Amino acid sequence: MNPALARILANPAIWRGGDCAAEPACIASGFAALDAVLPGGGWPRAALTEMLLEREGIGELRLTLPALARLQSEGRSIVWIAPPHRPYAPALAAAGLDLSRLIVVHRCHDRDALWACEQALRAPECGAAFAWTNARDERVLRRLQVAAREGRTWGVLWRRPGQHASATAAPLRLSLAPHEGRLAVRVLKRRGAGLAQPVLLDLARERGAPLCLPPGAAPIAVDSPHAVDLPSSAIASARRVRARLRA
Amino acid sequence: MFARACAPDAAQRPFVVASSGRHPQVVAANAHARDAGIRRGQSITAALALVPAIALRERDPAAEADALSEIAALALAFTPNASLVPPDAIVAEIGGSLRLFGGLARLIDQLRAAVQARGYTTRLALAPTPLAASLLARAGSTMPVPDIAHLPDALDPLPLALLDLDPGAPAALDAAGIATLGDARRLPRAALARRFGRSLVDALDHAFGNRPDPRPPYRPPPRFERRLPLIAPVDTVEALGFGVNRLVNDLADWLLARGLGVTRISLELVHERHLRERGLSPTIVTFALAAPARAPAHLVAVLRERLARVALPASVEAIVLASDETATLPGRNLGLLPEDEAGTAIVPLIERLRSRLADDAVVVLEPRAEHRPEHAMRAVATVHGAPASRHDAVMSGNASPCAALPTAARPLWLLDEARPLGTTLETQPWILRDGPERIESGWWDGRDLRRDYFVAETPQGEIVWIYRDHRYGTDDGEWFLHGLFA
Repeated sequence: MNPALARILANPAIWRGGDCAAEPACIASGFAALDAVLPGGGWPRAALTEMLLEREGIGELRLTLPALARLQSEGRSIVWIAPPHRPYAPALAAAGLDLSRLIVVHRCHDRDALWACEQALRAPECGAAFAWTNARDERVLRRLQVAAREGRTWGVLWRRPGQHASATAAPLRLSLAPHEGRLAVRVLKRRGAGLAQPVLLDLARERGAPLCLPPGAAPIAVDSPHAVDLPSSAIASARRVRARLRA
Repeated sequence: MFARACAPDAAQRPFVVASSGRHPQVVAANAHARDAGIRRGQSITAALALVPAIALRERDPAAEADALSEIAALALAFTPNASLVPPDAIVAEIGGSLRLFGGLARLIDQLRAAVQARGYTTRLALAPTPLAASLLARAGSTMPVPDIAHLPDALDPLPLALLDLDPGAPAALDAAGIATLGDARRLPRAALARRFGRSLVDALDHAFGNRPDPRPPYRPPPRFERRLPLIAPVDTVEALGFGVNRLVNDLADWLLARGLGVTRISLELVHERHLRERGLSPTIVTFALAAPARAPAHLVAVLRERLARVALPASVEAIVLASDETATLPGRNLGLLPEDEAGTAIVPLIERLRSRLADDAVVVLEPRAEHRPEHAMRAVATVHGAPASRHDAVMSGNASPCAALPTAARPLWLLDEARPLGTTLETQPWILRDGPERIESGWWDGRDLRRDYFVAETPQGEIVWIYRDHRYGTDDGEWFLHGLFA
């Protein structure tokens, strides 16, 4: 680039179309391709993030685990509020989370869940608060956003399939969908220019987010992935299991 | 050095405390009443003639004793050595605390502010002996006496009537023309003891520091329970806030004096007497804390949240706060940087959450060494510091996370109930990514299972954990969805 032009562009008063707002504090997501498109280069430490799921079981939690582990290593705790299924402790421990610093709030109504979410977001000792809620009320979401900013907590609102709202106060909105064995992260809203192309992440390959294999354990050798044509081939596979067990 | 505190009540209206008995007299009156001409020792009928609208309350010696021990517990925050001087004084040894609190003036300011915050007025006096401090406070002299050499100057003008003497001694002293401590001190000791009783000589010796004057130290009771009668019956829980605040502050003083933190507290809301007699039992609010605590703000916040969900069956006329369980709570070093404090204190958050939600709604998870997936973890309610540190778990060996970790892929979400897949697999081909993993266990408790687990990918791209149930046979088991690799 022309050095004169570079000097002009270095002026903080010059904004360019592709720039993102400077996020005051971020935590690296652990995925370089994702960090590149997030304002500030990572998950916002003091704001709300909304994750819209096209489907469940596509690696949506694995996407957040490296950041959660990092927050825990800083001595902060994590609160999960009203998770839709049972968080499976052995897998979480194998993924490197400290379970004594993961607090799960379950069996509560939606109103209580939002209250708990606000409490967690306001607590400075809480590093991240995940809530699975269907709240759409703009005032409620704004309140949560303020709580996240004041408590310096990363808040994530998970929208399960069929719960997508059109627009919310969260400054970062991502849509997660599977795409040919990879996770397609589409940035719907960020403090910066829009992004047309989704970011494709291969969670199985990326370092830091394996398929929850315990560290040190050899992965089970997988023959080439095979389609199951039920019922006959399933029976065949079960027979192979028995044969392997006998051997 | 010694400090003294005395304890009358304060109110906005003319307020008079009356002695009991056939001819009640004014024992104490507040400023409004004194302005109207009411004096101590007047008969109540005379006081009522002066001001018909006075608020009158009979003297309650038990409440006075409670108030005195409340202030003594408070004083124990400033010194390890305080003792009661009934009916209205406390002597506290503060010489050893001066340095910690940054000097005499600061210590007195803090002590005075702490006592005033609880609604008492104080008269503080400082002297090198406990009796001298009590006498000076009783006489209203607030000039501190720094050492024993200055004691005669301060004590000599005080009247002998301040001392507790043998019966008959005051009249005899009066008749002999001996009015002040200074007069008595200058007389021969033997003659003084013979004519006016041993107690006069003893008192003089103690006051002037010629003989040691050990006092039994005040020890807070082993269990905290304090009742606060409300001025008027209260119908809403919001109106209880003030009383709760006050009791919690007392509790915090007691906890600090004993070096404890509370782990379970109960608040009893006593309903009006006529309802009690009809068999209405008091409403009791209990709260178990996740870790010993004594910060008043935290305890108030927790109790208030619990109270907000209580429906009062009737109006409340008194509240009783009790410490049901306590644990030692050692002092903690404060962090130098803000980061030192972060993370050490997740407990307040857990308790705020639990105060509104059910006790078992806030949990931490714990893996268990168990092959059956649905039994390989357990949710531990976060009561009484249950989240044991990893170090403890390894040491005790029963819940070692290393032992419990699976050797094969495990999903992050486990479904509450395995979902039968029915004919889904027949209509759409699913790709098996990993497996099978045979899990066969649990014959000993009747919940035995025999399953082949697979990691599969659905046509929509979800990675799921499915199994084939072989409990009833080998080849024709049904398929179930059990987890999601979220």
